Amino acid sequence: MHAIPDSSQAERNGQADCDAASVERVLAGDVEAFAAIVERWQGPLVNMAWRYCRDRGRAEELAQEALVRAWRGLKSWRRESSFSTWLFALAANVFRNDLKHVPAVTVPMEDAPEPSRPAGQLAALDERGRYEAVRTAVLALPQRYREPVVLFYFHEMDVSAAAGTMRLPEGTFKARLARGREMLRRRFPQLKEWSAISAGGAVQPGNEVSL
Amino acid sequence: MNRKIESGLQSADAAHAELVAIDRILVSEDALVPSSGFAAAVMERVREEAAAPAPIPFPWKRVAPGAAVAAVALGWGVFELAAAAKTLPATALIAFGSNTQALASAGWTALAVLASLLAWRLSRRMMEGRGLL
Repeated sequence: MHAIPDSSQAERNGQADCDAASVERVLAGDVEAFAAIVERWQGPLVNMAWRYCRDRGRAEELAQEALVRAWRGLKSWRRESSFSTWLFALAANVFRNDLKHVPAVTVPMEDAPEPSRPAGQLAALDERGRYEAVRTAVLALPQRYREPVVLFYFHEMDVSAAAGTMRLPEGTFKARLARGREMLRRRFPQLKEWSAISAGGAVQPGNEVSL
Repeated sequence: MNRKIESGLQSADAAHAELVAIDRILVSEDALVPSSGFAAAVMERVREEAAAPAPIPFPWKRVAPGAAVAAVALGWGVFELAAAAKTLPATALIAFGSNTQALASAGWTALAVLASLLAWRLSRRMMEGRGLL
């Protein structure tokens, strides 16, 4: 399951048209037309916020704030980029600023669960726990590398979309992402064993990335 | 030499496998479903904001003439001071510093400025308290 629903190009174009039509109606004074935008984007925004803070209640608060800010700033969407690109960039800004004031509860990178342990003990840990340990460790990354990692996987490993959300050049984004992934890799030396245990996961052979 | 290359390739392969494992873990996260009242709560906030009266615009038209006069007076004052400082010998400035009467009047001026600032701050707080700002 992914944060952003899978959709074909035609569906995406249709959705973009719906967004543009809803925005036009809101700007013409129809407040209720914004409900369609909320309906379409609430899921992706809550999931994006969740990846920033891993706290369900806070994720909903942040997503709500992002949607209200989007409503206030609809006039500033200049149609140069898609509505989703504009909305995600605005939301990322809201999440970043809010988390700067009240940071998410994290543990230092070195205190993140799963230090090096003998393989026998590792095998006893269930897959869910191992995955959660890696996801929690993302929040312990330095802020500079955390956000590219969060957005890269939120956008299903689409560098261009993730860089657009951060409003960063792709080269800069890739450099930060590579550093963040490398820090994670070094933090979990058991990753190779885990991948052997749970081979056949979500990443298909052709979907691997090299940065 | 070949062994070195081989071990280098092996470690590169291992690193790649680990990164693929990270990709698999982080991309396969279950999607959260927003709570049932989420959309309604957002729309409630939007409706509240839409219904709120537009903020009173700052009265630039009334303020502009006064601000322009104040800016001109300030500029003129600075110019005059600079011109006076050029013509006065350094000893005159030292004499002004040691003149207690001049210092006392400067103190009163500072006090008046401080009182004005306090009055402005107090009036602003009162207006904020009544929701006028």
